[in-house]
Amino acid sequence: MTDRLAALSGQALAILLALALGAVVILTVDENPLTVLTTLLRGAFGSPDRIAGTLLQATPILVCGIAACISLRGGLFNIGIEGQLFMGGFAAAWVGFSFALPPFIHLAVAIVFAAFAGLLWIAIPAWFRARYNANEVVSTILANYVAILITSYLTINIFKAPGGLSETPPILPSAWLPEFFSFSRLNWGLVIGLVLAVATHFFFLRTASGYAISEMGANPKFAEYGGIDIKRQGFFVLLASGAVGGLAGGIEALGVHHRFMEGFAPGFGFDGVIAALLANGSPLGTIVTALFFGALRNGSLLLEVDTTASREIITVVQALIILAVSAQITIRRKASDSTAGERRWKF
Amino acid sequence: MPLAIELKSITKRFGTFVANDNVNLAVERGRIHAIIGENGAGKTTLMNILFGLLQPDEGEIFIDGKPMALPDPSVAIAAGIGMVHQHFKLVPSLTVAENVFLGMEIVRNGLIDHAAQNEKTAALSKQFGLSVDPTERVGLLSVGIEQRIEILKVLVRGARTIILDEPTAVLTPQESRELFQTLRGFVVQGMTVIFISHHLEEVMEVSDTVTVLRLGKEVATRPTKGLKKSELVQMMVGRSVSFDRRPRQPTTGWPVLEVRDLWARDDRRLPAVAGVSFDVHAGEIVGIAGVAGNGQTELAEVIAGLRPASHGSITLGGSTTLGGKSIVGLSARDIRAAGLAHVPGDRMARGVDRHAAIASNILMGRQDQAPWSRRGIISLTYLRQQTEALIKRFDIRAQGPDAPVKSLSGGNIQKVVLAREFSTDARFLLIDQPTRGVDIGATEAIHTEIMRQRAEGRAILLISVQLDELIALADRILVMFAGRIMGDLAGEGVSEEELGFMMAGASRDEAAALAEVA
Repeated sequence: MTDRLAALSGQALAILLALALGAVVILTVDENPLTVLTTLLRGAFGSPDRIAGTLLQATPILVCGIAACISLRGGLFNIGIEGQLFMGGFAAAWVGFSFALPPFIHLAVAIVFAAFAGLLWIAIPAWFRARYNANEVVSTILANYVAILITSYLTINIFKAPGGLSETPPILPSAWLPEFFSFSRLNWGLVIGLVLAVATHFFFLRTASGYAISEMGANPKFAEYGGIDIKRQGFFVLLASGAVGGLAGGIEALGVHHRFMEGFAPGFGFDGVIAALLANGSPLGTIVTALFFGALRNGSLLLEVDTTASREIITVVQALIILAVSAQITIRRKASDSTAGERRWKF
Repeated sequence: MPLAIELKSITKRFGTFVANDNVNLAVERGRIHAIIGENGAGKTTLMNILFGLLQPDEGEIFIDGKPMALPDPSVAIAAGIGMVHQHFKLVPSLTVAENVFLGMEIVRNGLIDHAAQNEKTAALSKQFGLSVDPTERVGLLSVGIEQRIEILKVLVRGARTIILDEPTAVLTPQESRELFQTLRGFVVQGMTVIFISHHLEEVMEVSDTVTVLRLGKEVATRPTKGLKKSELVQMMVGRSVSFDRRPRQPTTGWPVLEVRDLWARDDRRLPAVAGVSFDVHAGEIVGIAGVAGNGQTELAEVIAGLRPASHGSITLGGSTTLGGKSIVGLSARDIRAAGLAHVPGDRMARGVDRHAAIASNILMGRQDQAPWSRRGIISLTYLRQQTEALIKRFDIRAQGPDAPVKSLSGGNIQKVVLAREFSTDARFLLIDQPTRGVDIGATEAIHTEIMRQRAEGRAILLISVQLDELIALADRILVMFAGRIMGDLAGEGVSEEELGFMMAGASRDEAAALAEVA
């Protein structure tokens, strides 16, 4: 437990250090760092609709983060979640505007298609990994570009809705994820994300398959010796990770945009990967880090309105935080020679 | 001959483990001095001290007769010492010459003078017979050539004494012979070579002087000429029998494991197991003796399904007519299901997840079997009970089932592995180096446990480089040399001399004759 406490306080220290550095950056653009910080906080949490906005931004980051956690726990690195999200989003939208089905059934079918599209999109990198030991980092990152361009082609050239915008026809309301409030687009996607995080946490903590995957991530030679087919298992871990990535796109399409369009998601997939890394591959920890990134994104919107600082400043601060936390994790890992391993089963 | 290097009473401790215990080493200038010993004998530690990578707790270092302190490698390099590590440190995308001069580039007008670097590299490579093309990219070259580049790196930094740590481990026999020629060329030109190895043949072939290390202590330093291989083996593995032979009931069990004409390759794709046949019966401990690196590791990996066999058959559970199963080509999981339990030789790399709790390590391999898990959900209550029972039964000194394995001592980590493997219902136990790096108390306990498994009627294959362990435990001892079984001896009344000769490659009749004379 003391290990964990030390790790957490180290992380907090790293974030404080990054914020201090960020303050210096803000000073260079002639803004008061305190004003920026309070505006940011107000923008993220200042009123019910602002809080809802933060949760709305955090939702896709959370789901993408869980996708990343699944691969990280197995010692694999799916960095193609952005691409899976685009494919999933398009698949869900297509089901949503092409078919007329009863409510809920329509929604369920669209969600299943979204997850399946993400799964298919990672199947080739996963197969190359299992069959030829091709590095999944390279192949999944390349697949991102293809996914973004393919969905853009389909949107503009085949399924374009009438009018000037590069978007598909709207998804029928029968496939929408219901919203909670009248004042925000916050929807049941958040609940799906939270349930998924808890389920994934339980899966890794308590199931035989979760154990086998974690051991493959912690020491593949040990897993192999214990009779785990690490190639086959690695293949399925990547498929699962891709499916959750596709699901994130589905939630975004069915819950927020109600259509698919060009520039569908501004980097949610990458933010999700970083959120998972900061949480050390823990799904529950990813809830916290995703919320943090959601708050930064939402708060920076108000920042643009209320101050002369631009949203890019927040991107700089965010990058500083990531840098500081990664450096801190690396140093700790070197010092204790530990991997992402943790003490399982504290009785 | 004056001394190039002299180490006096070097002691190095890591925690409670003594890696070098009062070691003396005197290396004459212009000689090839071999340091031989088994894995963990302290060879690399000693050389890292000489190269300034580690600081000795006690002792003095003299280079060319002058006392020296070596706080880091740069001081050692300045004093004319160079080290070629076991694992190369080269940049694949750079050329040979760029790698050789990396960190000490020849600069002209603020730019790297590639022509001069290439020229100097070519000149050095010619002078020492290390044939390389200076302009070639390193990533395209073979391991043998990479090693030459590492040697050139050392030479260009002005080394007069070159340390090579297990240089042949990565080479083919042909490449090794070329390396030996180069090394002889060095001493002709007045340089000194320190050569670390655990291969007898090589040491006999190339060195002028041999120092034998065993368990961190210097056993002997002798001129190679006139030294017999069998003497070297005995010095390496130790003469004294520290364990008495365990008393036992004779058993006549059925053959649980049958191996027939088995062949397999090592990681370099060279034959490591060359036509091995033997049986292991229920209630019998069959020992495999041999100097490390004679195919024992590969044999164990093939049986466990972790390395493919190139030829031959293995059946587990009796011959196929008796309901046994051919296990060549099966997965590790299926072989376990057919009745194998395996204590691996490289305990930390394969035997445990050292960051995880003891309980988590106990679970491996049975996580999807009832009652360990039901419908895919692990039973934490059962796991905890079993782990606590095993900790008690195997006397594992730990805070509890949730203590991480890395917090345990080497002997207790091995007990965790034994506890897991011996608590399966496997009929065949494959035990590789059960007490390597384990203290004497834990060793006694592990031996007792192995004898108990024998009494329960399990068939046991015990691979060990420690002769005293085999003599204490084994009913029969097979001696492996260069991938073959040199003989099948009764464990009762076997002499260490006889085993030593066979481990050095003598046939059984020759060994018996030699033992008679000795």
